[in-house]
Amino acid sequence: MRISRKKRLLIGLVLVISMLAMPSAQSLPGGISGVQESGCNCHGAVPSDSVAGSIEGLPDSYNYSEVYNLTLSFEGGPSQPGNVNQGGFHLWASEGELSILDATTQLYNANEVGHTEAGNDQTSWDVIWTAPATDRNVEFVLHVNSVNGNADGAGGGTSGDMWSKVSVSLGGPIEILEAADPFVVLGVLILVTFSLLVITLAYVFYRKDPDSFDWDNFSPWLADWLTTTDHKKIGTLYFVAGLFFLGVGGIMAMIIRIQLSVPGNDFLTQDQYNQFFTLHGTTMIFLAAMPMINGFANWMIPLQLGAADLALPRINAMSFWLQPFAALLIFTGVFSGHGADTGWTGYAPYSVSEATHSGTTMWAAGQILLVASSTLTGINFLTTMAVMRAPGMGWMQMPLFSWSILVANVMLFLSIPAFGVGLIQVYLDRVIGTAFYDIAAGGDPLLWSHLFWYFGHPEVYVVIVPSFGIISEVIATSSRRSVFGYRSMVYALAGIGVVAFIVYGHHMFTSGMSPTLRFVTMLTTMLVAVPTGIKIFNWLMTMHGGSLVYRTHTLWALGFLVTFTLGGISGMFFPSIAMDTHLHESYFVVAHFHYVLVGGTVFGFFAGIYYWWPKATGKMLSEKLGVLHFLTAFVSYNALFWPMHRLGVWGMTRRHHTYFVTTEEALGSLPMEAAGWNMFITVSGFIFFFSNFILVFNMIVTSIRGQDAPDDPWGGWSFEWMTSSPPPAHTQYKLSDGTWGLPTLEDANEHIANEPGVMGRWFQRLMVSDEESEGASN
Amino acid sequence: MSAGFAAFLFTLAAAFEWGDFIGWTEVPLILASLGVVFFGLLIWWRQDWSYGVDGKDSKHLWEPKSAGSPFQNIDIRKVALWMFLMSEMMVFTSLFSTYMRYRFGIPNCMTVFESGEWVEGTAVTCFEPAAHLIASSWFHIAPGAINTFALIISSFTIVQALRYAKMKDIEEDVRKRKVMRYLGTTWVLAILFLTLKMIEWFIGFPTPGPLTDLNHGHSEIASLYAEGYTINADSYQHYAYDTMYHDGKDIPKDSALYTMLQEGTHPGGQMMANIQVSATTFYVTTGTHGAHVLGGIIGLTYMTLKAARGGYTPDNAVSIEYFGLYWHFVDLVWVLVFPFFYLY
Repeated sequence: MRISRKKRLLIGLVLVISMLAMPSAQSLPGGISGVQESGCNCHGAVPSDSVAGSIEGLPDSYNYSEVYNLTLSFEGGPSQPGNVNQGGFHLWASEGELSILDATTQLYNANEVGHTEAGNDQTSWDVIWTAPATDRNVEFVLHVNSVNGNADGAGGGTSGDMWSKVSVSLGGPIEILEAADPFVVLGVLILVTFSLLVITLAYVFYRKDPDSFDWDNFSPWLADWLTTTDHKKIGTLYFVAGLFFLGVGGIMAMIIRIQLSVPGNDFLTQDQYNQFFTLHGTTMIFLAAMPMINGFANWMIPLQLGAADLALPRINAMSFWLQPFAALLIFTGVFSGHGADTGWTGYAPYSVSEATHSGTTMWAAGQILLVASSTLTGINFLTTMAVMRAPGMGWMQMPLFSWSILVANVMLFLSIPAFGVGLIQVYLDRVIGTAFYDIAAGGDPLLWSHLFWYFGHPEVYVVIVPSFGIISEVIATSSRRSVFGYRSMVYALAGIGVVAFIVYGHHMFTSGMSPTLRFVTMLTTMLVAVPTGIKIFNWLMTMHGGSLVYRTHTLWALGFLVTFTLGGISGMFFPSIAMDTHLHESYFVVAHFHYVLVGGTVFGFFAGIYYWWPKATGKMLSEKLGVLHFLTAFVSYNALFWPMHRLGVWGMTRRHHTYFVTTEEALGSLPMEAAGWNMFITVSGFIFFFSNFILVFNMIVTSIRGQDAPDDPWGGWSFEWMTSSPPPAHTQYKLSDGTWGLPTLEDANEHIANEPGVMGRWFQRLMVSDEESEGASN
Repeated sequence: MSAGFAAFLFTLAAAFEWGDFIGWTEVPLILASLGVVFFGLLIWWRQDWSYGVDGKDSKHLWEPKSAGSPFQNIDIRKVALWMFLMSEMMVFTSLFSTYMRYRFGIPNCMTVFESGEWVEGTAVTCFEPAAHLIASSWFHIAPGAINTFALIISSFTIVQALRYAKMKDIEEDVRKRKVMRYLGTTWVLAILFLTLKMIEWFIGFPTPGPLTDLNHGHSEIASLYAEGYTINADSYQHYAYDTMYHDGKDIPKDSALYTMLQEGTHPGGQMMANIQVSATTFYVTTGTHGAHVLGGIIGLTYMTLKAARGGYTPDNAVSIEYFGLYWHFVDLVWVLVFPFFYLY
């Protein structure tokens, strides 16, 4: 049994590796290395040794901007003096500028030069090369054809001809290091992160029992994690995946910021920049935020409801395991430079055009898997919350975090099929050539926008609403009282859930959508501020009426209130159609959604991590490190995103790989200060990025030598604090009579059990109990 | 159990990857990926295979029930299945809204033809509902019509299978026979559905002897593919878009083309249409439904085999009930697809 399990793991590993390798291998020939080769119109299939080309007139190292006369020639091969034609050439220079001297040569572009019809009758040509003005490593690639002259007239026979290739490289006055390909940087960083993850995994296992550190003990332990259906373990897996991809997305963000730190930078090419911002968005939303929400929900929903596990544990495992494979698909093609380059919105018709990279197909495929995963998750959580609440716990006694997950999943569940169908349409368009978004055949690209944003807008609420839940729990516990206005909180959440479906048009104000629809979505979008405002004021009132205890999670919650409110206020600029038309696609938008997604969602997650970490691991996190993390992250975060508002108002556009500054009023240029602000943003970005390692450090250090956590370290009231820290494998709760088991609402010390309300009773009448119906058929 | 289960998840997901990014030319790899999915399913089924046979495990048969309102005492898995159907509903809603967007957003081919604003030899982009071809003859619509009844009957047979599986006061082998036969009938009807669909799409069928007369003198019904109704049809020609065909007969008197025909200024010959979008919506929507039927067939195959060894007793008859819920949904979707895509 053990051997077959090993084999299975091995096969899985081989599958994964070959999957990663194959698309890269396939796309390489036309990929990075293709530029020099594309100019060769070589005669004959293989290069011949008997032909020797040469470039004369090149120095060992060039002087800045100096002009050099190059003589290109070849010897050998079938070329004979007196043949009709004798030969040809093609020269490519990676840097500097090439130019021509006479009619025997022609210029394709500044980097490529070749012979003309008139230059066919000779074996040596003269061209001019102007060296670059800065330090560069320059590559020359020369292709020569030796021709036997059997071509009677232009473009005739090439049989018997031979060709060869010469490469020369030289440096400037100072030898400089060659700049690394950003994709290689990304690849290496991800590899390093992954290796660290594996080493950490091994170390965690080693720490468990240093004496039994060998494969025979390790493999069942690993297999247990790979095959688990326990909601707590799957929650942990979700967390590991989510944090890993948060790091990956962060690395991408940092590479983007390096590119944008100075005007006119060429660290990333346009093409690479497109792929980086596409994958940054996709990774952060779908591979970092969503798994972390699922991690929290997996851990806490059954505990908060007083249930033993989720309703469908297997389906739960399946929704998790779809994610890593989806991630592999989404990243497929990136390292060969052919990743998805459509932006996370994947707007048609670009996303179905030939111009996009082949990675876009994989991107769509990976997203389809994520849609499947989210659908399964939705089924699972909705069912769990509908059927597995502890006896006596009505809908209105559910903790607010559970409510937020319920609302988020209803939104996700009702909207994501539209996205899935849209993705399948894009995928089919790309793969088998259907015509959903083919404009020539009458397809409508706006349809994609509608399908996408019908999902996309609820989706951004899906990632923020669980944070609302976490903040409600944290603020109520830290204020040492129940949350102010529980019912209004629930109705506000539900209100957000309903309104989410009718506001999406505000993403499409500039797309030429009908003015009536624009007006309607303008009004409904402004309406969103009402339930959100209710929540903010309820939180403030909770603190006002309680006595606040300043723990790390409390600080994060307070930070959330500040940043999320700021993000919400900047969001109120966009519903106004006129403002939106002006600010559309500018850094103001970037600032806004990072304020709500990082300042809202991620700060909420941090609050949740500090709040529930002792429950989940049984170890207290260090408060000192926590406060340090909060202070550095909060300050650098605001320094990172606040100046973006100003850049946006100045007119800096998002999704452009660089920008230019001038002292004059010029279209498309920014004032001189913009360069300084961008550098400031980049520096702050790096501080923010590295400040989060304090949290990782905190987790590692405290799990090795932290204090043991009591069952209820913060004085929380919901069911999860009634079990031990960490909870036993089969969750048991300490009941009010001192025994252990599954609780009823009477065991909790906050709420009172009550009967279902009017709607509940009405709905219940429609249900035929399965016990009754089985009894009837007996 | 859990090891096999993880392998299932692992390989299922892996297989999706493979199936997804290879493309259509690399059939062996797709088959390999499907094999991996099937292997996962087999591992899953192996655990269920002997469950409930000969009264084995009967004391372990346990169906968790819902605790809270409003689903008090309803099976948890049943609630979950209804949730799943909710998302399926959204899938088909999205497909239908795509269809409606194009159906009403692109001018209909017949309208364009009657407006006379076309030139022979140049394709016009217009919407050509598949129904225009399919509903033009009783023979053409026959596969779809038979399919409709096949699915409705199969919904009935699956309920019968459930009824006999739940019956407690009948002989063990009578129940075994009945359940197996009704599940088998459902299976046959589902296979019939897909077969007729393939005939309609790709193969066509002959109409020999007296049928030829009924079929306007044609000895066969061509498949949609043979008629040129395909996703890359950028110059599709329907016989009704021929001025010769319409010369003087059944063309509305108030149409522009009628006036042109009277004056002799009409464009001559056949109109060519770019109908890629119409064909795409038709094939993808009905194809998605077909994929659901195929999924049902895979499940039914297993259930019929299990029923053949007496695997369904009143204790675990709920499996049939859950499958039946899904199957009714597939049936219901077809009842909507049929008028939308075949009749109008």
